Amino acid sequence: MSYCHAQTLFPMGDDGYYMNEDSDEPRLFPVTLNWAGGKTGELLVKGKAAIKTGTPSDEGGARGHSPEDLFVASATVCYMNGFVEFVKKMRIEFESFHCEAVGKLEKVGRSFEITRIEMKAEVGIASEEIRSKISRALDLAAKYCFVGNSMKCPINHETSIFVV
Amino acid sequence: MSEDKHTYNVRVDWTHDRVGKLTLEGKPEITVASPPEFEGPEGIITPEDMFVAASASCLMTTFVTFTKKMRFDYESFTVDGEGTLERVEKGFQFTKIVLRTRVVVASEELVPKAERALELAGKYCLISNSLKFETIHENEVLVK
Repeated sequence: MSYCHAQTLFPMGDDGYYMNEDSDEPRLFPVTLNWAGGKTGELLVKGKAAIKTGTPSDEGGARGHSPEDLFVASATVCYMNGFVEFVKKMRIEFESFHCEAVGKLEKVGRSFEITRIEMKAEVGIASEEIRSKISRALDLAAKYCFVGNSMKCPINHETSIFVV
Repeated sequence: MSEDKHTYNVRVDWTHDRVGKLTLEGKPEITVASPPEFEGPEGIITPEDMFVAASASCLMTTFVTFTKKMRFDYESFTVDGEGTLERVEKGFQFTKIVLRTRVVVASEELVPKAERALELAGKYCLISNSLKFETIHENEVLVK
């Protein structure tokens, strides 16, 4: 399987970003989940720290991550990764990145769906001059987040940039 | 689910390079990063992993819910999930998730029940319902 380099991620378009010709191979992401009693499980991705899922039935047990948590988190982390990527491409630096996200689960017809994700990102920068570039990197990260683009629901991004 | 609306809050703080920490109140912190093929480090959970994981764990919790409703027990449940990320018109997108599930039951008469619970879990999994593409299920029920 060929590697897709980050700078090749984005299609040529108004934004002037290019994709490499050799990055067409699909990428596979395998996970294994083993049931661990009740509604809990242990989620394994080869070579990575295990993630506990679900809520233990006994009082006092640590709560694990729910599928809804993981869903909202995947979109949020994807946004951060995209931002970091675009910032590197623009050869600028930032001091901090913080994002809070809320996913809304609602009944749609007979079953439930995540219908909306609201993100609030805060970026700390060292000087006023790079504000517009950072703002642009945030826009591009939102636009090209491939996890978010794989979801049905709209994702709203509220951003704030401050000088530290 | 008794109420018709729920919200889920997460927080992500960048720490260094392509790495950050994911915090959810009352739950263990997770270190997160870009995957190596997108220039991230090896061995750290990525959004792509979590995306596929959301789908796999949703199938499990929905299955558990149906087995409780149908009042039967099972011995084990394992699901291997595989998400495919492909280039489409607007950059990359997930185009497919395959969930291969193995359930072990204690006796032959529980096999159709477990099969039914898996089928319903696939149909009502709220994460699959929230995705743009179809989730493919390959189910296997074994007698212990």
